[in-house]
Amino acid sequence: MDEPTFQVRGLTKIYGTGAGEVHALRGVDLDVRRAETLVLLGPSGSGKSTLLNILGGLDRATGGRVTFHGRDLTRASDAELTRYRRQSVGFIFQFFNLMPSLTARENVELITEIADTPIDPAEALAMVGLSDRMDHFPSELSGGQQQRVAVARAIAKRPELLLCDEPTGSLDSASGVQVIEAIAKVGGEIGATTLIVTHNAVVADIADRVVHFSNGAVVDIKDNPAKRSAHELTW
Amino acid sequence: MRILNRKLLRDLWRLKWQMSAIAMLIACGVSVAVMAFSTQKALVTEQSRYYEETRFADIFASATRAPLSIAADLARIDGVVLVDPRAMESGLMDAPGLLRPATARLISLPDDEQRALNRIVVVAGRLPDPNRSDEAVALKTFLDAAHISLGERLSVVINARQLTFTIVGAALSPEYVYVPSSSPMPDDSHQAVLWAPRGAVEQPTGLGGAFSSVSLKLAGGASEAAALAAVDRILAPYGGTPAYGRADQVSNKFQQDRIQRLGVMAEVVPPVFLIVAASLVNLVLGRLVQTEREQIGLLKAFGYGDMEAASIYAKMAGLVGVAGVIAGGALGGRLGAGVTGELAPYMRYPHLNAQFSWSAFEVAASLSIAAALTGSLLAVRRAARLSPAVAMQPVAPMSFREGLAERFAFWRLLDQPTRVIVRNLERFPGRAALTVAGLSVSLALLVGSQFLFGSVDAVVNQAYYQMRRWTDEIAFSDNRDLHAAAEVAHLPAVLSVELLRTAPGKMWANAREERMSVVGLDREAQLAHPLNAQGRPIAFEGRGVVLSPALAAHLGVGPGGTVGIEITEGRRPHAVLPVTAIANEYQGFTAYMARDALNRLMGEGDLASGADLLLKTDERNDFYRSITQVPQIVSAASRDDTVAAFRSAVAAVLVVEMAFFLGFACAIAFGVAYNVSRIALADRARDLATLRVLGFAPAECAYILSGELLLLALVAIPLGILGGLGMGKGMAAAFARQDFYLPFVISPKGWGIAVTAYLSAVLLASALVTQAIWKLDLVAVLKARE
Repeated sequence: MDEPTFQVRGLTKIYGTGAGEVHALRGVDLDVRRAETLVLLGPSGSGKSTLLNILGGLDRATGGRVTFHGRDLTRASDAELTRYRRQSVGFIFQFFNLMPSLTARENVELITEIADTPIDPAEALAMVGLSDRMDHFPSELSGGQQQRVAVARAIAKRPELLLCDEPTGSLDSASGVQVIEAIAKVGGEIGATTLIVTHNAVVADIADRVVHFSNGAVVDIKDNPAKRSAHELTW
Repeated sequence: MRILNRKLLRDLWRLKWQMSAIAMLIACGVSVAVMAFSTQKALVTEQSRYYEETRFADIFASATRAPLSIAADLARIDGVVLVDPRAMESGLMDAPGLLRPATARLISLPDDEQRALNRIVVVAGRLPDPNRSDEAVALKTFLDAAHISLGERLSVVINARQLTFTIVGAALSPEYVYVPSSSPMPDDSHQAVLWAPRGAVEQPTGLGGAFSSVSLKLAGGASEAAALAAVDRILAPYGGTPAYGRADQVSNKFQQDRIQRLGVMAEVVPPVFLIVAASLVNLVLGRLVQTEREQIGLLKAFGYGDMEAASIYAKMAGLVGVAGVIAGGALGGRLGAGVTGELAPYMRYPHLNAQFSWSAFEVAASLSIAAALTGSLLAVRRAARLSPAVAMQPVAPMSFREGLAERFAFWRLLDQPTRVIVRNLERFPGRAALTVAGLSVSLALLVGSQFLFGSVDAVVNQAYYQMRRWTDEIAFSDNRDLHAAAEVAHLPAVLSVELLRTAPGKMWANAREERMSVVGLDREAQLAHPLNAQGRPIAFEGRGVVLSPALAAHLGVGPGGTVGIEITEGRRPHAVLPVTAIANEYQGFTAYMARDALNRLMGEGDLASGADLLLKTDERNDFYRSITQVPQIVSAASRDDTVAAFRSAVAAVLVVEMAFFLGFACAIAFGVAYNVSRIALADRARDLATLRVLGFAPAECAYILSGELLLLALVAIPLGILGGLGMGKGMAAAFARQDFYLPFVISPKGWGIAVTAYLSAVLLASALVTQAIWKLDLVAVLKARE
């Protein structure tokens, strides 16, 4: 069996100190395999976003260990984490986080300019079905279109990881389905390992495996033999 | 309303650094006004007290030898309440420790202290014994500068007689706060004034029963002009020179210039600060209303009135204004006391106490708070007009569209971070314009103030190295004939001698009249000659005169015109003379003409009043030693000493002024740059955090944040330079006096200081804000709605 992309062992994260301490993660163990799609489910505050942030190099663990291809992320410096995000990670956010002053194409170019082997921005936008909206500014796009620009932006650097935090959280169901479809399609095309954090249990149908969180711990990991295509989803 | 006030205070605390930067600008403006006017008040108060206490005269005149009985005629002039005739004569004095002999004025002490004018204040030692002829008190500033102690004996050569006095006291005199010399700045160590009993002065000067100097006190409301004319008329038969009032008394004029110059800074600087502060209040509060629109809407939804909800922002501006005013008042008071202390050695009053100008503070405070409130008007209006419904809806995404820059070919060459910078500038042109305006004002202030050093250099170079090329200049006690030149030429170290004749006079044209001096130079003179704009000597034509620019401008004449002249010594001849050229020089009401033409006008033969000399540098001391033995020489000036004294006096004053301007201008640049950066950071924190998440390094994000400011700072440079040139010329005009121009010259060093200080202030402010990028909370921003 392949060495896992991520190996998470005994991961803890505590916010605050003393009486105000909040245990966001209480000893999480998890292996993430190469090119699999993992959906992280659980109620608010269960620790799934915290794990995603630590895996994405945005936050630091209080204890435990995370390795990415054997490299210890928990001991990486700020500059190493920046380089890691720049080379290996594509992020998709709940609120899109596009640069309002750049057009769709320019938002993608923002990433391709600093990537080593990028996809052509026009091609990336074509992959998410936005060829005809490339020169529009974010304020001229619908929420779903903005999130698809964010998907194009995330995959344009050909990242090894695609980390999605509530990607449909701000969208209506039709737009949400389009976005999940785009993530699944382009993620598959570039062979990215995809982690999706969501409240929406329906999204779990596209996963290879589903990880359930509760109270800062992984309570269940299930394989999903009946994996569905994204366009079949409804909610 | 108490809750609203609490919100106001918490908002103020949250924005404390931005608000402090604005308050700092207001404080700067207030402090300059308070400092300048407090110092002025201290000087004016002490000057009037000093003048009052010492009975400083209103009219001054001199004569060759007027009988004391004439004083009674002077006393009968309408409006004259006191007349104080004195014996006074000048000569050279060898002082221990001085290489060049000092010029000494020997003045008789009054017989009747009750009727004396210009009374001296003995600050150490005592007055001379009235029955002794070998004791004198000396001007304290001379004793201090020449390091002479009480009890030392000094010898003065007057009318070929060597007089020796024991210095028994040190005194200050309202008449000699500043002692005139050939230098435009005080040369204390070479300008001695000695006061001795009348008997001790009368005998060697040949002024027994006579006077050569007289001061008069006028009753309040008396006509000075009429009194001056009457004094001239009475003294004319006795070799009288034109009488003059306090305004023309050299020492008083010198002080008045100092006092008035303080006002220049107070008039130029504070308005600049207030305008910039008001602009920043507008920017900061405008942004605040934008971000707090939901809160404003909520307040209105709860039933608060439009003005109740909006007045928070006016109060905020008012509080910032009040904070600035209090800090500015305190700082101004301290600075005023400091500057008063710095000026004390130059003003030489017996006492000089710091004052606080409440009137200046009140005016500055009112204007500052009004400026802050004015700055808040747009924000208050916007808050008042927000409808509760609109205010409660989320802000629409910031919309951008293609701007002008995209139409140019260079657009394609720009990377995306640079495009973000350019689009932001296009999106907020008003903010960009205000930023450029504020920054260019600060640079203008820097450039406009740096000219002073360059200008002083230009004045010194023109006056002492171009127009005058002598190393030393001597004056004779009486006008001498050509033998004098031969005698001087034989003195040690003398390489070259050129005689000159100077005479006081009045000149008129176009119904305007001015006191001036005529300088007669040899037609082929090399050591001093008026120069044209190209720096070449102007040839004298016949009996034509070459006027100094100040005199020509004052009389409204130019080349080809004519002027009337009366020489106010000797036979007091009148003439109408052609003006042949205007000299290129900066100082003085002077008319130059050929010495032979002047002598023909005077009708006294070929005479000289002094000589310009070129000395061998290494033998100068031999020359100085020898001239004390030449009775006809009454004063000797050295170019090197004059220039050194000028530079050190000017530097002492200018360095302080420049430090102020430098500090103020940097404060503006910092205040503007800091606030603009904070607003940009608040606007873009989310975008920048996103970029950090996407893998941009902090420095790359810093480029986006600070690039906009730095670009605007660069755009502001040419505007600031243009503004600075204008401001500098305005300040040069403000520093100018009736008879003194200040040229506008900025040295390369001046440009360097101005631009370096400006960029340092901008970079510091930018760095302070930009460092926040390294501390951005990447996790929080991802969950935050825009």
